[in-house]
Amino acid sequence: MSLRTILLLAAGPFLFAQSEDQAKQLDRVAQVATAMVDGDVCLRIQTPRSLQFLLKTDPRDPWLASDNYDVDDQAFIQTKKALMRLSRLCTEACDANLWMPVTSSPSQIQIMIRNVYEMSGFWKWGDLHQEMPPEMKRVLATGDRVTVRRGSRMISVLAPVYDSLGDIVALVEIVSQSKRDLRENVK
Amino acid sequence: MGLPEHLRPDPFGGIVEADRVTGAAPAHQIVLESGRAAYASCHLIAILPEGGAYGLEVQGFPAESGLQTDLYREWFHFLTASKRFYPDALVPVQSSYRSAMPEPDNRIPHQTAQAFWVDIWVPANTRPGTYKTTATLKAGGGAASIPITLRVIGATVPAEDAVAIDHNSYGTSWLADDYPSLRDRLGADFFASDEFFTLIHSYHRIFYENRGVFHQLGYGHAGKVGPEFAPRLEGSGKNKHIVDWTLFDRQYGPLFDGSAFATSRRGPKPIPFVYLPINPEWPASFLWWGEPGYEKEFVNVVSAMERHFREKGWTATRFEMFFNHKKRYKGFPWDGDEARFVRDYDYIREYARLLKLAVPADTPVKFVTRADVSWTMERQFKELAGIINFWVCGGGEFGWYDYAPRMLKERGDIVWIYGGTPAVTEPSSHITLQVLRPWMWGIDGFVHWQTTAPGADPWFQFEGGSEALVYPGDRFGIAAPIPSIRLKIQRNAVQDITLLNTYRKTQPIERLRAEAARHFNETTTKDWWTPKPAFASKDPLEWTNADEASPEDPRFGSTLDAAAWQRVRAYVLELAQEVK
Repeated sequence: MSLRTILLLAAGPFLFAQSEDQAKQLDRVAQVATAMVDGDVCLRIQTPRSLQFLLKTDPRDPWLASDNYDVDDQAFIQTKKALMRLSRLCTEACDANLWMPVTSSPSQIQIMIRNVYEMSGFWKWGDLHQEMPPEMKRVLATGDRVTVRRGSRMISVLAPVYDSLGDIVALVEIVSQSKRDLRENVK
Repeated sequence: MGLPEHLRPDPFGGIVEADRVTGAAPAHQIVLESGRAAYASCHLIAILPEGGAYGLEVQGFPAESGLQTDLYREWFHFLTASKRFYPDALVPVQSSYRSAMPEPDNRIPHQTAQAFWVDIWVPANTRPGTYKTTATLKAGGGAASIPITLRVIGATVPAEDAVAIDHNSYGTSWLADDYPSLRDRLGADFFASDEFFTLIHSYHRIFYENRGVFHQLGYGHAGKVGPEFAPRLEGSGKNKHIVDWTLFDRQYGPLFDGSAFATSRRGPKPIPFVYLPINPEWPASFLWWGEPGYEKEFVNVVSAMERHFREKGWTATRFEMFFNHKKRYKGFPWDGDEARFVRDYDYIREYARLLKLAVPADTPVKFVTRADVSWTMERQFKELAGIINFWVCGGGEFGWYDYAPRMLKERGDIVWIYGGTPAVTEPSSHITLQVLRPWMWGIDGFVHWQTTAPGADPWFQFEGGSEALVYPGDRFGIAAPIPSIRLKIQRNAVQDITLLNTYRKTQPIERLRAEAARHFNETTTKDWWTPKPAFASKDPLEWTNADEASPEDPRFGSTLDAAAWQRVRAYVLELAQEVK
């Protein structure tokens, strides 16, 4: 057994405890997110015109959906500011991202607002919308908060967002990385 | 054997399919002609049908000539799609060079020919005249020589390029991927090491040496700024301020004072352009957008930047406030890049207001406001006049507006167009179209939107290089980029057009343009503009990329032959003879 292995084994419980503490903290922020993020405002973020194009495809125009992607400034800014404030509750760098199901295609979900550290445990860079991960499906179906670990470094906590009717219309991803890549996604 | 620069060899003694023109074949002598303060180039080919060990030696020119020869081995990339080999990456080698056929590392079955790119630097003080040297191939106990003749004319290529050819890139994370040897050696210190900053500078240097500009965008679509692209900030609101310039100055100091180019043949010179890190999340937090704190954070930090630049004497570079983000990447509610929605213009107006507040009117530091425009460029030219003063325009759409260059230049704006990079499978002249077009249009430059991404395996599973004009040298033990044939051909075209441009002092520019167009592809200056298609008069929200623009003129595409630029060069050299 090498010295490195011994050190890793010795550090293991400490690292696990640290990760658990981080997950608990993110969970607390996610809980606040459910209380603070306004689902009715979220529903107004993407413009009706843009929604019409979201799933359209044209072999002669691969950018048909993205070139028509548009948002309502006020709804976007109001929600983004709420997410930015939430991320300030984290003691370590974290992002609060907003995700919304694609109502016309229940198997799809789209990230709707990202933030400054450009972290997400789910977003594939550049995707306008994507297949709904089972963890997100669970949050939208049950209202549970769900903690998801990606590799050894990234933890996301997903929390539901409700509208005034009591329906879950979106979810927030509170995400942090134990060893942040300062240059990833600078592009 | 030898070939002129525009006829790229294949690894079997022939010429690549894209460059074949009637009567072209490897020759037993090389004759070049060049102005001064310029490069002349050609291919040398070692052909060994039986294979085996060989050596190539290029003798130097007489020392008093000042002529300097650079030798590069041409890497033959295997293209997965076409199953063919094309040369592009240029590996610097010493003369004499010893190896074996097939070239061991290139691993080409049945290879019989290895090509070498020869660059001859003609200093500005070289005496006009004819210079001769030879290249000698030794193999199997025998030797064969090829004479190289260079005729140096009296004309000197000006140091300032007639058109700026810009090479864009994004961030720095790719450097760790492209230089695994360096990354593994430096470990966690890679991004803080002197080697890292030297590597960045080497990218600027290779483009500068080859008569180009290099841009690195330093932030992401949601506002994340790479640490070396901005000073470090602390505080919030009225207390937000710069606390550390270290990484920024390590990256940019040698670029802004020109010392990064001290060893270049073109001499030290500050970079002409740079992206600022300004974006909707930097330096002001978007949390305060629309509130007094946003203005305070923006103005305080940008004012401090202006002071820092001024105190350092960094007054030759244009600092670009440029917004690259798009709302489709979900970071911000408006498009900075290629704005399509007219209401997004208001954000640009607000940033222009903030910049004006931050920067003293009489500053010697050159701040510019840049916009990359496509869908609504015509409307932006009008509505953002006096706000945007650096336009980077989609090349296709800009061709609809023949009145635009004059209008924009008369108000003092900088005007570039942007586009992609021809893949290696296109005729070698196609990259020169991007040099000639801005000059024909009377604008200032062209941007290759991405030039440092050759793909996951450019060596054996090449995708064509339409996002690369340099390659990582790591594979060859070089901690710096290595050039490409396309970059060299482009450079030589920039030299020629820069020399041609000098004759506007003695001849009408329209005549020079007409002759250049005629020689290039038998067109008239009018042919370089495209009629505005009917759909372009509608609201841009009603068009799509599938709308049929005017059919492409084949003279600018499918029938543009590899020799197109050589005809322009012949014209330029003819003019130089007339004027001397």
